[in-house]
Amino acid sequence: MQARMAPMLNELLLSLAHWLDAMTWSTALHESLYLYAWVESTHVLTLMVFLGMLFIIDLRMLGLIFTEVPASAVAERLDVPMLIGFTVMVATGFILYFAIPVRTTQSLWFRIKVVLLIAAGINALLFRARMKAADGSWDRDPKPPQRLRVAAGLSLALWAGVVMTGRMIAYDWFDCHKQLPYFLYWAAGCVDEMARFE
Amino acid sequence: MELLPFFEWLEASALGEAAKAYGGVFAVVQMFHLLALALLGGTVILGDLRLLGLVMTDVPSETVIRNTQKWFNAALALIAASGIFMSGAVAIKLYYNEMYWAKMTGLGLGIAFVYGVRRPLLLRFEHATINPWALRLLAVTSLIIWFSVAACGRWIGFS
Repeated sequence: MQARMAPMLNELLLSLAHWLDAMTWSTALHESLYLYAWVESTHVLTLMVFLGMLFIIDLRMLGLIFTEVPASAVAERLDVPMLIGFTVMVATGFILYFAIPVRTTQSLWFRIKVVLLIAAGINALLFRARMKAADGSWDRDPKPPQRLRVAAGLSLALWAGVVMTGRMIAYDWFDCHKQLPYFLYWAAGCVDEMARFE
Repeated sequence: MELLPFFEWLEASALGEAAKAYGGVFAVVQMFHLLALALLGGTVILGDLRLLGLVMTDVPSETVIRNTQKWFNAALALIAASGIFMSGAVAIKLYYNEMYWAKMTGLGLGIAFVYGVRRPLLLRFEHATINPWALRLLAVTSLIIWFSVAACGRWIGFS
Protein backbone atom coordinates (compact mmCIF):
# COMPACT_ATOMS: atom_id res chain seq x y z
CA MET A 1 0.00 0.00 0.00
CA GLN A 2 2.63 2.48 1.15
CA ALA A 3 4.91 1.42 -1.67
CA ARG A 4 2.22 2.32 -4.18
CA MET A 5 1.13 5.58 -2.54
CA ALA A 6 4.49 7.29 -2.96
CA PRO A 7 4.81 6.72 -6.73
CA MET A 8 1.22 7.88 -7.16
CA LEU A 9 1.88 11.07 -5.24
CA ASN A 10 5.11 11.57 -7.14
CA GLU A 11 3.37 11.17 -10.48
CA LEU A 12 0.66 13.56 -9.39
CA LEU A 13 3.18 16.20 -8.33
CA LEU A 14 5.16 15.69 -11.52
CA SER A 15 2.13 16.12 -13.76
CA LEU A 16 1.25 19.29 -11.86
CA ALA A 17 4.81 20.49 -12.47
CA HIS A 18 4.62 19.66 -16.19
CA TRP A 19 1.31 21.47 -16.44
CA LEU A 20 2.87 24.61 -14.87
CA ASP A 21 5.98 24.21 -16.98
CA ALA A 22 3.89 24.31 -20.17
CA MET A 23 2.64 27.79 -19.30
CA THR A 24 4.15 30.66 -21.26
CA TRP A 25 4.77 32.74 -18.13
CA SER A 26 6.73 30.00 -16.45
CA THR A 27 9.16 29.81 -19.37
CA ALA A 28 9.26 33.60 -19.77
CA LEU A 29 10.17 34.04 -16.12
CA HIS A 30 12.82 31.33 -16.21
CA GLU A 31 14.42 32.74 -19.35
CA SER A 32 14.07 36.42 -18.41
CA LEU A 33 17.25 38.43 -18.22
CA TYR A 34 16.61 40.11 -14.87
CA LEU A 35 13.17 39.31 -13.49
CA TYR A 36 14.08 35.87 -12.18
CA ALA A 37 17.20 37.30 -10.52
CA TRP A 38 15.13 40.07 -8.94
CA VAL A 39 12.57 37.65 -7.55
CA GLU A 40 15.33 35.38 -6.28
CA SER A 41 17.17 38.33 -4.67
CA THR A 42 13.97 39.51 -3.00
CA HIS A 43 13.45 35.99 -1.66
CA VAL A 44 16.98 35.90 -0.19
CA LEU A 45 17.13 39.49 1.08
CA THR A 46 13.77 39.19 2.85
CA LEU A 47 15.55 36.70 5.13
CA MET A 48 16.71 39.83 6.95
CA VAL A 49 13.12 40.82 7.70
CA PHE A 50 11.48 37.46 8.36
CA LEU A 51 14.31 35.42 9.83
CA GLY A 52 15.88 38.52 11.41
CA MET A 53 12.76 39.19 13.48
CA LEU A 54 12.31 35.48 14.23
CA PHE A 55 15.91 35.20 15.47
CA ILE A 56 15.40 38.16 17.81
CA ILE A 57 12.22 36.59 19.23
CA ASP A 58 13.95 33.20 19.65
CA LEU A 59 17.00 34.81 21.25
CA ARG A 60 14.67 36.56 23.72
CA MET A 61 13.12 33.18 24.56
CA LEU A 62 16.62 31.84 25.16
CA GLY A 63 17.32 34.77 27.50
CA LEU A 64 20.04 36.19 25.26
CA ILE A 65 18.62 39.53 24.10
CA PHE A 66 16.18 42.16 25.45
CA THR A 67 16.25 40.51 28.89
CA GLU A 68 14.91 43.76 30.43
CA VAL A 69 11.85 43.71 28.14
CA PRO A 70 8.96 41.25 28.78
CA ALA A 71 9.18 38.26 26.42
CA SER A 72 5.59 38.70 25.25
CA ALA A 73 6.25 42.36 24.39
CA VAL A 74 9.17 41.39 22.13
CA ALA A 75 7.14 38.62 20.47
CA GLU A 76 4.07 40.82 19.97
CA ARG A 77 5.88 43.91 18.68
CA LEU A 78 7.94 41.95 16.18
CA ASP A 79 5.04 39.81 15.02
CA VAL A 80 3.87 42.21 12.29
CA PRO A 81 7.27 42.85 10.64
CA MET A 82 7.98 39.12 10.85
CA LEU A 83 4.70 38.21 9.15
CA ILE A 84 5.25 40.84 6.45
CA GLY A 85 8.62 39.25 5.74
CA PHE A 86 7.08 35.77 5.80
CA THR A 87 4.40 36.78 3.30
CA VAL A 88 6.98 38.18 0.88
CA MET A 89 9.11 35.05 1.24
CA VAL A 90 6.19 32.72 0.58
CA ALA A 91 4.99 34.78 -2.40
CA THR A 92 8.44 34.99 -4.02
CA GLY A 93 9.00 31.32 -3.16
CA PHE A 94 5.89 30.32 -5.11
CA ILE A 95 7.02 32.44 -8.07
CA LEU A 96 10.45 30.76 -8.00
CA TYR A 97 8.77 27.34 -7.96
CA PHE A 98 6.52 28.42 -10.81
CA ALA A 99 9.54 29.47 -12.91
CA ILE A 100 11.29 26.08 -12.56
CA PRO A 101 8.55 23.63 -11.56
CA VAL A 102 9.79 20.26 -12.84
CA ARG A 103 13.34 20.38 -11.52
CA THR A 104 12.15 21.82 -8.20
CA THR A 105 9.51 19.12 -7.77
CA GLN A 106 12.20 16.47 -8.27
CA SER A 107 14.71 18.22 -6.03
CA LEU A 108 15.62 16.22 -2.94
CA TRP A 109 16.66 19.46 -1.20
CA PHE A 110 13.38 21.17 -2.00
CA ARG A 111 11.49 18.22 -0.58
CA ILE A 112 13.49 18.25 2.65
CA LYS A 113 12.96 22.01 2.82
CA VAL A 114 9.18 21.62 2.61
CA VAL A 115 9.22 18.99 5.37
CA LEU A 116 11.35 21.27 7.57
CA LEU A 117 9.03 24.20 6.83
CA ILE A 118 6.05 22.17 8.00
CA ALA A 119 7.94 21.11 11.14
CA ALA A 120 8.95 24.72 11.84
CA GLY A 121 5.33 25.80 11.33
CA ILE A 122 4.03 23.19 13.81
CA ASN A 123 6.73 24.21 16.29
CA ALA A 124 5.72 27.88 15.92
CA LEU A 125 2.03 27.09 16.52
CA LEU A 126 2.84 25.02 19.63
CA PHE A 127 5.12 27.84 20.79
CA ARG A 128 2.32 30.38 20.46
CA ALA A 129 -0.08 28.12 22.35
CA ARG A 130 2.43 27.70 25.17
CA MET A 131 3.04 31.42 25.34
CA LYS A 132 -0.67 32.20 25.56
CA ALA A 133 -1.19 29.50 28.20
CA ALA A 134 1.60 30.94 30.33
CA ASP A 135 -0.50 34.01 31.30
CA GLY A 136 2.49 36.14 32.12
CA SER A 137 3.94 34.07 34.97
CA TRP A 138 7.44 34.11 33.45
CA ASP A 139 6.99 37.01 31.07
CA ARG A 140 9.40 39.29 32.92
CA ASP A 141 11.99 36.62 33.68
CA PRO A 142 15.24 37.36 31.86
CA LYS A 143 15.42 33.64 31.07
CA PRO A 144 12.13 31.88 30.20
CA PRO A 145 11.37 28.31 31.47
CA GLN A 146 13.21 25.38 29.93
CA ARG A 147 10.36 24.10 27.75
CA LEU A 148 10.24 27.49 25.97
CA ARG A 149 14.00 27.61 25.58
CA VAL A 150 13.85 24.15 24.00
CA ALA A 151 11.15 25.32 21.58
CA ALA A 152 13.23 28.41 20.70
CA GLY A 153 16.33 26.30 20.13
CA LEU A 154 14.34 23.90 17.96
CA SER A 155 12.96 26.83 15.99
CA LEU A 156 16.49 28.15 15.32
CA ALA A 157 17.67 24.69 14.23
CA LEU A 158 14.69 24.07 11.94
CA TRP A 159 14.99 27.45 10.24
CA ALA A 160 18.72 26.97 9.81
CA GLY A 161 17.81 23.72 8.07
CA VAL A 162 15.30 25.52 5.85
CA VAL A 163 17.94 28.07 4.80
CA MET A 164 20.51 25.34 4.23
CA THR A 165 18.28 23.09 2.11
CA GLY A 166 16.92 26.13 0.27
CA ARG A 167 20.43 27.13 -0.74
CA MET A 168 21.22 23.54 -1.76
CA ILE A 169 18.41 23.46 -4.34
CA ALA A 170 20.86 25.24 -6.65
CA TYR A 171 23.34 22.33 -6.44
CA ASP A 172 22.67 19.43 -8.83
CA TRP A 173 24.35 16.64 -6.80
CA PHE A 174 21.15 14.64 -6.41
CA ASP A 175 19.27 15.59 -9.57
CA CYS A 176 17.38 12.83 -11.35
CA HIS A 177 19.76 12.70 -14.32
CA LYS A 178 22.60 11.64 -11.99
CA GLN A 179 23.45 8.03 -11.19
CA LEU A 180 21.86 7.58 -7.76
CA PRO A 181 20.78 4.70 -5.50
CA TYR A 182 17.13 3.68 -5.81
CA PHE A 183 16.05 5.22 -2.49
CA LEU A 184 17.31 8.64 -3.56
CA TYR A 185 15.34 8.39 -6.81
CA TRP A 186 12.38 7.45 -4.62
CA ALA A 187 12.94 10.35 -2.21
CA ALA A 188 13.43 12.86 -5.01
CA GLY A 189 10.44 11.48 -6.92
CA CYS A 190 12.40 10.58 -10.07
CA VAL A 191 9.52 8.58 -11.51
CA ASP A 192 11.14 7.63 -14.83
CA GLU A 193 14.44 6.63 -13.25
CA MET A 194 12.58 4.46 -10.74
CA ALA A 195 10.74 2.72 -13.56
CA ARG A 196 14.08 1.76 -15.10
CA PHE A 197 14.88 -0.26 -11.97
CA GLU A 198 11.74 -2.37 -12.34
CA MET B 1 47.89 49.68 -5.30
CA GLU B 2 47.86 46.39 -7.19
CA LEU B 3 45.63 43.90 -5.40
CA LEU B 4 45.57 41.02 -7.88
CA PRO B 5 48.61 39.24 -6.35
CA PHE B 6 46.78 39.13 -3.02
CA PHE B 7 43.78 37.45 -4.62
CA GLU B 8 46.04 35.00 -6.47
CA TRP B 9 47.78 34.21 -3.22
CA LEU B 10 44.45 33.76 -1.42
CA GLU B 11 43.14 31.32 -4.00
CA ALA B 12 46.34 29.26 -3.87
CA SER B 13 46.51 29.33 -0.05
CA ALA B 14 45.48 26.48 2.24
CA LEU B 15 42.19 28.31 2.85
CA GLY B 16 41.44 28.50 -0.86
CA GLU B 17 42.35 24.84 -1.30
CA ALA B 18 40.11 23.79 1.59
CA ALA B 19 37.17 25.90 0.37
CA LYS B 20 37.47 24.45 -3.13
CA ALA B 21 38.09 20.83 -2.18
CA TYR B 22 34.79 20.06 -0.47
CA GLY B 23 31.56 21.37 -2.00
CA GLY B 24 29.67 20.27 1.11
CA VAL B 25 31.85 22.33 3.44
CA PHE B 26 31.45 25.36 1.19
CA ALA B 27 27.67 24.95 1.26
CA VAL B 28 27.60 24.69 5.07
CA VAL B 29 29.75 27.81 5.41
CA GLN B 30 27.39 29.52 2.98
CA MET B 31 24.48 28.58 5.25
CA PHE B 32 26.21 30.34 8.16
CA HIS B 33 26.80 33.33 5.88
CA LEU B 34 23.06 33.45 5.15
CA LEU B 35 22.03 32.95 8.78
CA ALA B 36 24.40 35.74 9.81
CA LEU B 37 22.87 37.88 7.05
CA ALA B 38 19.44 37.35 8.61
CA LEU B 39 20.71 38.25 12.09
CA LEU B 40 22.76 41.24 10.91
CA GLY B 41 19.91 42.56 8.79
CA GLY B 42 17.37 41.86 11.53
CA THR B 43 19.29 43.82 14.16
CA VAL B 44 19.89 46.72 11.74
CA ILE B 45 16.24 46.82 10.64
CA LEU B 46 14.88 46.59 14.19
CA GLY B 47 17.18 49.37 15.48
CA ASP B 48 16.46 51.64 12.54
CA LEU B 49 12.70 51.06 12.54
CA ARG B 50 12.71 51.90 16.25
CA LEU B 51 14.59 55.15 15.55
CA LEU B 52 11.94 55.91 12.93
CA GLY B 53 9.24 55.22 15.53
CA LEU B 54 7.74 52.32 13.59
CA VAL B 55 8.19 49.31 15.92
CA MET B 56 8.60 48.67 19.66
CA THR B 57 7.60 52.24 20.41
CA ASP B 58 6.80 51.29 24.01
CA VAL B 59 10.42 50.25 24.59
CA PRO B 60 13.02 53.05 24.97
CA SER B 61 15.08 53.36 21.78
CA GLU B 62 18.26 53.30 23.90
CA THR B 63 17.30 49.79 25.06
CA VAL B 64 16.59 48.64 21.50
CA ILE B 65 19.90 50.02 20.19
CA ARG B 66 21.93 48.56 23.06
CA ASN B 67 20.45 45.08 22.60
CA THR B 68 20.60 45.00 18.82
CA GLN B 69 24.14 46.42 18.68
CA LYS B 70 25.42 43.52 20.78
CA TRP B 71 24.08 40.93 18.32
CA PHE B 72 25.04 43.03 15.32
CA ASN B 73 28.67 42.64 16.42
CA ALA B 74 28.32 38.88 16.65
CA ALA B 75 26.58 38.67 13.26
CA LEU B 76 29.22 40.84 11.62
CA ALA B 77 32.01 38.63 12.99
CA LEU B 78 30.26 35.47 11.71
CA ILE B 79 29.42 36.93 8.31
CA ALA B 80 32.97 38.22 7.81
CA ALA B 81 34.57 34.93 8.87
CA SER B 82 32.32 32.85 6.60
CA GLY B 83 32.76 35.39 3.81
CA ILE B 84 36.55 35.21 3.96
CA PHE B 85 36.39 31.41 3.79
CA MET B 86 34.07 31.50 0.78
CA SER B 87 36.15 34.12 -1.02
CA GLY B 88 39.13 31.77 -0.82
CA ALA B 89 37.44 29.38 -3.23
CA VAL B 90 36.77 31.98 -5.93
CA ALA B 91 39.28 34.73 -5.14
CA ILE B 92 40.49 35.47 -8.68
CA LYS B 93 36.95 35.43 -10.05
CA LEU B 94 35.94 37.90 -7.35
CA TYR B 95 38.81 40.21 -8.24
CA TYR B 96 37.28 40.69 -11.70
CA ASN B 97 33.70 40.98 -10.41
CA GLU B 98 32.40 44.57 -10.20
CA MET B 99 29.65 43.66 -7.75
CA TYR B 100 32.23 42.25 -5.36
CA TRP B 101 34.03 45.59 -5.27
CA ALA B 102 30.74 47.46 -4.91
CA LYS B 103 29.93 45.22 -1.97
CA MET B 104 33.34 45.66 -0.32
CA THR B 105 33.08 49.43 -0.73
CA GLY B 106 29.63 49.38 0.85
CA LEU B 107 30.86 47.10 3.62
CA GLY B 108 33.78 49.41 4.43
CA LEU B 109 31.41 52.35 4.46
CA GLY B 110 28.94 50.45 6.64
CA ILE B 111 31.56 49.45 9.20
CA ALA B 112 32.89 53.03 9.36
CA PHE B 113 29.34 54.31 9.70
CA VAL B 114 28.35 51.88 12.47
CA TYR B 115 31.48 52.15 14.61
CA GLY B 116 32.39 55.73 13.74
CA VAL B 117 28.99 57.43 13.77
CA ARG B 118 25.93 55.39 14.69
CA ARG B 119 27.25 53.54 17.71
CA PRO B 120 29.16 56.41 19.39
CA LEU B 121 26.22 58.74 18.90
CA LEU B 122 23.44 56.38 19.96
CA LEU B 123 25.17 54.61 22.83
CA ARG B 124 26.69 57.73 24.40
CA PHE B 125 23.82 60.20 24.25
CA GLU B 126 20.23 60.07 25.39
CA HIS B 127 18.21 59.90 22.21
CA ALA B 128 15.82 62.62 23.40
CA THR B 129 18.73 65.08 23.34
CA ILE B 130 19.48 64.34 19.66
CA ASN B 131 17.65 66.23 16.90
CA PRO B 132 14.82 63.86 15.80
CA TRP B 133 15.61 64.52 12.14
CA ALA B 134 19.23 63.55 12.73
CA LEU B 135 17.99 60.24 14.19
CA ARG B 136 15.71 59.64 11.20
CA LEU B 137 18.51 60.47 8.77
CA LEU B 138 20.80 58.11 10.65
CA ALA B 139 18.22 55.31 10.45
CA VAL B 140 17.52 55.77 6.74
CA THR B 141 21.25 55.98 5.91
CA SER B 142 21.89 52.79 7.85
CA LEU B 143 19.07 50.93 6.07
CA ILE B 144 20.27 52.06 2.64
CA ILE B 145 23.91 51.10 3.32
CA TRP B 146 23.19 47.60 4.63
CA PHE B 147 20.53 46.84 2.06
CA SER B 148 23.01 47.80 -0.67
CA VAL B 149 25.73 45.60 0.80
CA ALA B 150 23.36 42.62 0.95
CA ALA B 151 21.95 43.23 -2.53
CA CYS B 152 25.42 43.60 -4.10
CA GLY B 153 26.41 40.41 -2.29
CA ARG B 154 23.57 38.48 -3.87
CA TRP B 155 24.30 39.99 -7.24
CA ILE B 156 27.91 38.72 -7.22
CA GLY B 157 26.43 35.37 -8.15
CA PHE B 158 24.44 36.78 -11.07
CA SER B 159 27.12 38.96 -12.64
